[in-house]
Amino acid sequence: MNRVVLAERLVPNIFRLVVEAPEIARAARPGQFVIVIPDEKGERVPINLADWDGDRGTIDLIFLNLGVSTRKLARFKAGNSIQAVVGPLGRPAEIGNFGQVLLVGGCYGLAGLYPLAKEFKQAGNKVTFLVEGRDEAFIFWEDREKKISDNYQKVLRADCFASGDDLGKIIGQLKNSSPDLSRVVVMGCSYLLFIVSKITRELNLKTMVNLNPIMVDGTGMCGACRVTVNGQTYFACVDGPEFDGHGVDWTEYFNRRKAFLRQEEQALSSYLNKTLD
Amino acid sequence: MSKDNILEPGLKEKLSRQREQEWRKALRRDVSARKRLESRRHKMPEQPAAQRAANFLEVNQGYSLEMAREEAQRCLDCGDPGCVSGCPVAIDIPTFIKYIESGEIALALATLRETNGLPAICGRVCPQEVQCEKNCNLIKAGKEPVAIGHLERFAADYVRSNDQTVIESACGQAQGEKIAVVGSGPAGLTAAADLARLGYQVTVFEGLHLPGGVLTYGIPEFRLPRSILNQEIDFIRSLGVEIKTNFLVGRTATLTDLSQAGYRAFFIGTGAGLPSFMNVPGENLLGVCSANEYLTRVNLMKAFKFPEYDTPVPVVKKAAVIGGGNVAMDAVRTALRLGAKEAVVYYRRSRVEMPARVEEVKHAEEEGIRFNFLTAPVRYVGDDRGRLKGLVLQRLTLGEPDASGRRRPVPVPGSEFEVEAELAVVAIGQSPNPLLIRQVEGLKLGRWGNIEADPVTMATSLEGIYAGGDAVRGGATVILAMGDGRRAARAIDQLLRKC
Ligand SMILES: Cc1cc2nc3c(=O)[nH]c(=O)nc-3n(C[C@H](O)[C@H](O)[C@H](O)COP(=O)(O)OP(=O)(O)OC[C@H]3O[C@@H](n4cnc5c(N)ncnc54)[C@H](O)[C@@H]3O)c2cc1C
Ligand SMILES: Cc1cc2nc3c(=O)[nH]c(=O)nc-3n(C[C@H](O)[C@H](O)[C@H](O)COP(=O)(O)OP(=O)(O)OC[C@H]3O[C@@H](n4cnc5c(N)ncnc54)[C@H](O)[C@@H]3O)c2cc1C
Ligand code: SF4
Ligand code: SF4
Ligand code: FES
Repeated sequence: MNRVVLAERLVPNIFRLVVEAPEIARAARPGQFVIVIPDEKGERVPINLADWDGDRGTIDLIFLNLGVSTRKLARFKAGNSIQAVVGPLGRPAEIGNFGQVLLVGGCYGLAGLYPLAKEFKQAGNKVTFLVEGRDEAFIFWEDREKKISDNYQKVLRADCFASGDDLGKIIGQLKNSSPDLSRVVVMGCSYLLFIVSKITRELNLKTMVNLNPIMVDGTGMCGACRVTVNGQTYFACVDGPEFDGHGVDWTEYFNRRKAFLRQEEQALSSYLNKTLD
Repeated sequence: MSKDNILEPGLKEKLSRQREQEWRKALRRDVSARKRLESRRHKMPEQPAAQRAANFLEVNQGYSLEMAREEAQRCLDCGDPGCVSGCPVAIDIPTFIKYIESGEIALALATLRETNGLPAICGRVCPQEVQCEKNCNLIKAGKEPVAIGHLERFAADYVRSNDQTVIESACGQAQGEKIAVVGSGPAGLTAAADLARLGYQVTVFEGLHLPGGVLTYGIPEFRLPRSILNQEIDFIRSLGVEIKTNFLVGRTATLTDLSQAGYRAFFIGTGAGLPSFMNVPGENLLGVCSANEYLTRVNLMKAFKFPEYDTPVPVVKKAAVIGGGNVAMDAVRTALRLGAKEAVVYYRRSRVEMPARVEEVKHAEEEGIRFNFLTAPVRYVGDDRGRLKGLVLQRLTLGEPDASGRRRPVPVPGSEFEVEAELAVVAIGQSPNPLLIRQVEGLKLGRWGNIEADPVTMATSLEGIYAGGDAVRGGATVILAMGDGRRAARAIDQLLRKC
């Protein structure tokens, strides 16, 4: 059991929990995640480590309210206890001095990028944030991220998002104006990972994406999280979750994420019926 | 004696000392060997096949006291008991059976506990037909062997006693040094229990949220009810063992961190959790999964109670399972219970080579599972949405024996055929999970990424680090894993006290 010390709503559909997990807080590295089991009957849900405090022994979890599990998590209040949290899982992100690093994030991905930015900064990089959101109301942690970055940019207007035109233009300009830009890291929804990889491939800009396939154990034991990168199968929970975005087999990836759509919808409606009673 | 229990010192003498006790002599006098040979082996009462194919309740219902005592009477109490030499931990089988014959069930259990920390489990899952029962002398007399496994489980189920077994150590009580056990499968739990009884302060670190290893996430409830397993685990806790779940050693903390935290010795029992795939086209289609994933969803996460429990599992009409071991049997019988109308096993060798327990194969057949031998998938076929709709399989014949001594399957050219299935479960084996063992510098590994350990002491190439179970042997059995845990506990005790 892990006690919640702070629970807040960041934007209409995204929540933050600060949870006691001293061992995880001590061992955490940027790019790693945890698996959370909300309650006794809950499933194992992977969530990025958005921040941690080794001294206080707490970790920050930020999540999008989506299906049953994240809705259950959204109901937690300070003082409640979560059934289980295990981690830190996954390989830490590859950190190095790459000159300038562009961090592209959207949705809950804005959170996971924060520790990465700190670490890249420490390693001597110039750090640029490119943040994507439906509108102002869906962007959080702007102050924090501005504080630690050299450059902070936003793309709003979700309706243009699908084509990637806006993102493409901005990334292209950045590339032109910053000869030292040699690496991009993307976190967020699958579509963002895909579209940014597509853009940067044409620009020949090395891009790491944080894949979020369906997982069960998160310890390399089941293979539910299989992804194909550069023609080889990997288990994202132990070999990733960070992979070369230009090598990902996106068709397979999008497909595998849909494995349980029907069941997820069924679970959600049964959960909503129960909680409305 | 089999090569696995030559390690039991003074075994022969102990057996004959027990056998010469008055009560044993009296039993042998009271009922003649001829009389004992007359009665037939008692069948295990089972849930009817049609009924159990639709539920997750235990198939075997257990002997009554009367049946158990009658079955125990079949045992001849041999001077040279073959059965003992077939048991990897050399349980004093005739003594426990004779206690059952006399109605002293608690004493029977105490005898089992001397060498086996988990009798309720071994009685259920040991491959008895190739171990203890295979060597029962009754077979030489043309009879069916004594139902040793059934009796073992009977004793454990009948008496839910606390285990009072005392483990002797060469030099008195230990001083409570801290010992870390990594992994809570049968190997780790056995090592932990023995070390606790020797006076050490033991912490078991388990990556998953529930202890038990394969017993929890792999073997289904219809073979091993969780209530039975939980009682055994509670008992180990009652010895003072602390089980820290949700703690993945190598990630949450490294072995070095633990050793800095004061742990003096380590036992690695991390199992063989890494599922193998075959690398054939289409293997990443939706609907193709490892047996580990399928069984973990159902057993650990209780997906068979979805949506009451949140974890989903594919529910299909036609399921195919690739493999011929216990894992394949568990997967295919699970698919049936989840509602598959057609659940078929595809195995690349023939029936006689199947490594699964004979009882599981028999149960599976009774439940309506179909077997297709000498076939292997060459390709998985998807629909336009990337979902599995069928398998292309190839026929094989058996050629020359391979390294394992079994005849190697050879493809028959042009023999490909296609079958329909919406789910294919790959159960072709597992290897040791590399997460922890790859990061321990200097730890010597074997050919399959398994840890190399001394067969007597289970010591690894690193001082103070011991290992056992599937992490050392690859996929083996529960009882072998337990034997390793026990020997490692003994060796750790000797290491720490230099005696
Ligand atoms: C390594 C890793 C790190 C992650 N980190 C985070 C994190 O920090 N924060 C976070 O919020 N999530 C994170 N995720 C994703 C998160 O694990 C899933 O969103 C979560 O499992 C959702 O569970 P659920 O039960 O709430 O929703 P589900 O029941 O899984 O889905 C609910 C409903 O949402 C819909 N849905 C599913 N996927 C999508 C999609 N991609 N787009 C639109 N609709 C969809 C479906 O219709 C479904 O009915 C991470 C995943 C991985 C693998
Ligand atoms: C489906 C199935 C059916 C089987 N049926 C039978 C049978 O009928 N009879 C039989 O005798 N054998 C059977 N076996 C084999 C038997 O279960 C194994 O040989 C036995 O469980 C091995 O025990 P172990 O303790 O070595 O490892 P495991 O039981 O595999 O336990 C290892 C544990 O270590 C944990 N772990 C791994 N890495 C770490 C880490 N870094 N930190 C913390 N914890 C970690 C794992 O989560 C796991 O809980 C079956 C196996 C399977 C998969
Ligand atoms: S532990 Fe296994 S092999 Fe040994 S007697 Fe019991 S059932 Fe037989
Ligand atoms: S070999 Fe068979 S008959 Fe003889 S003691 Fe063992 S179980 Fe009894
Ligand atoms: S989630 Fe099971 S192997 Fe990655």
